Amino acid sequence: MENNSKSKNRREFIQSGVRLSLALALGGVGGLALSKVIEDDWVWQIDPFECTQCGRCATDCVMSPSAVKCVHAYDLCGYCDLCGGYLKPDANALSTAAENQLCPTAAIERKFIEEPYFEYHIIEDLCIGCAKCVKGCTSFGNGSLHLQIIHDICLNCNECSIARVCPSDAIKRVPASEAYKVKGDFTNNPES
Amino acid sequence: MDSKQIIKIVSYSLGIISLVFFFWWLNANPTRDFEILEEGADNRGAGLEAQEVEIGEYFEQFATGYTELSETWPRFRGEDFDNISKSPVKLIDNFGNDSPRILWTKELGEGHSGAAIYEGLVYILDYNEEERADILRCYSLLDGKEMWVRGYNLNIKRNHGMSRTIPAITEDYILTMGPMCHVMCLDRETGDFLWGLDVAREYESEVPLWYTGQCPLIDEGKAIIATGGNALMVAVDMETGEKLWETPNPEGWKMSHSSVMPYTFGGRKMYVYSAIGALVGIASDGDDAGEILWQTTVWNHSVVAASPVCIPDGKIFMTAGYGAGGMLAELTENNGNYSIEIITKYAPREGLASEQQTPLYWNGHLFGILPKDGGPGRNQLVCVHPDNPQEMVWTSGSENRFGLGPYFIADGKMFILNDDGTLFIARPSTERYIEMDKVKVIENGHDAWAPFAIANGYLIMRDATNVVCIDLNI
Ligand code: SF4
Ligand code: SF4
Ligand code: SF4
Repeated sequence: MENNSKSKNRREFIQSGVRLSLALALGGVGGLALSKVIEDDWVWQIDPFECTQCGRCATDCVMSPSAVKCVHAYDLCGYCDLCGGYLKPDANALSTAAENQLCPTAAIERKFIEEPYFEYHIIEDLCIGCAKCVKGCTSFGNGSLHLQIIHDICLNCNECSIARVCPSDAIKRVPASEAYKVKGDFTNNPES
Repeated sequence: MDSKQIIKIVSYSLGIISLVFFFWWLNANPTRDFEILEEGADNRGAGLEAQEVEIGEYFEQFATGYTELSETWPRFRGEDFDNISKSPVKLIDNFGNDSPRILWTKELGEGHSGAAIYEGLVYILDYNEEERADILRCYSLLDGKEMWVRGYNLNIKRNHGMSRTIPAITEDYILTMGPMCHVMCLDRETGDFLWGLDVAREYESEVPLWYTGQCPLIDEGKAIIATGGNALMVAVDMETGEKLWETPNPEGWKMSHSSVMPYTFGGRKMYVYSAIGALVGIASDGDDAGEILWQTTVWNHSVVAASPVCIPDGKIFMTAGYGAGGMLAELTENNGNYSIEIITKYAPREGLASEQQTPLYWNGHLFGILPKDGGPGRNQLVCVHPDNPQEMVWTSGSENRFGLGPYFIADGKMFILNDDGTLFIARPSTERYIEMDKVKVIENGHDAWAPFAIANGYLIMRDATNVVCIDLNI
């Protein structure tokens, strides 16, 4: 009898121990998940005002093609016929012919809107993040084309391999809640 | 089946497979999915139809009395086309603790058109966005009182601003050229309309991208306009509006944003012009007036904003933006025949270049602000010797960068305007950049690109939407 109650106690002890560890495990996972939600994660992003369009975003990302793509701030764009981001410097003609296009992958679509305006649209799948168009737009236009790390492609590497080589220190960790530093919505004026 | 038969069957099978593979390989086109990028994919429109414009139709007088002053800044780059004021009036070289003495400010339509000044009156060709009209505004220099306006209706849309040109003024006349190449000639005192010329219609000229940038020229009673189109350049009698000569344009060179620069070399006066297609020298007088004396198609860029800098010894310096860079050429004359030799032509990062402003020639040196694609020296004020514009005599350094704004020399001081409306005063030097002071003149200023005008110590400058008169007198 004594033996019987002893073995029962042991069973209960083991059962409650399993229950407790299960509860602890669940609580831990839940807590971790909760802390993930409450705490902000950090992701990598390019500050377009710091980027000097060196071209390494295309070559140094672990993804191929790069997780960095060109994005377009339409509200900053001048909608010019002679677009320094679309056309090669000193292009033969202001046309869509291959020899006049600056983008090596023809990732920029040019559409006539009305005289004298043209709209430029980035085909993200074709963009390799080479920054050629960004350089042209920044040098000769309003700087509406700029680079961003696209988070549904980016692996969020522990150490972004582009950040390591970026000559302008333009790639920084930013809170996941503000994962993009898109031009047009913000300026580099610290007071704004 | 013996092994011989098996080997036979395998060999035949392999042979057939190889043949099939070979024919497949021959026919396969690895580029079949490639798309050919041809012109026309943007569905470009046919271009705007020329509008019916009644040049000079509108006039309104607001005031008559103003303070007459002695000095003038009669056109783009001033009296001598060199952007250097020869006035003896003494100017401040710093603002001390004071704010700049702003005499008046006026709001204008978005643009970059600068002022001309004539004995106390300021003339600016504005585009009135509400009225949809090119409007020449005449202000009193001292107090900014608007005296009168004359203009004409014209529908244009914003395209990095609208107005871009500076009127030419003489004792008797005012000559303007609007965004769509409408030339208007007025009586200077009264603002009465004398004659007009619709260049784009009459010469089937292509209006330059972002509208006209050419400042018209009055020279010895003639209006000189580089038309592009059916004629390269025309001379019009200022008094009657009658055409005096037209330069044929068989190559179809187009109008640029550059302005015509008079130049005397080898005993002949000529007009030097950088068209889209070529740099040319055109005889200004004599039996062959209007004929091309020399030309070079080596200088051929799609956008040329700066004007030729003609140096007395025959050198001509040209620069343009959008990746074009700079070029130095040398003109020689032999028994009345001219030839032009290219000394050097280079990319913007390889020497003096400028996107919009025409470099200054002062004290045997050239000064200019490098464009954004000017490499490590981008946006710096630089000084070069015309013998070698690729070797920097000095640069203003990475801590002193500027934008696309104007720079000129008055009373031995160099004034430089930044895009945001900050005015710098420097001491012109062939040794180094010497900054004396700077002050923000236009709050929240942007795109302050119009050339300066100065007379009697009053400086007219503007940003995209505001024109300001500052008293720089000591
Ligand atoms: S590596 Fe840095 S500077 Fe170079 S393109 Fe990328 S963000 Fe810009
Ligand atoms: S030029 Fe380079 S960065 Fe720009 S759209 Fe093309 S691939 Fe992308
Ligand atoms: S974090 Fe990794 S995947 Fe993302 S941009 Fe940097 S290198 Fe590319």
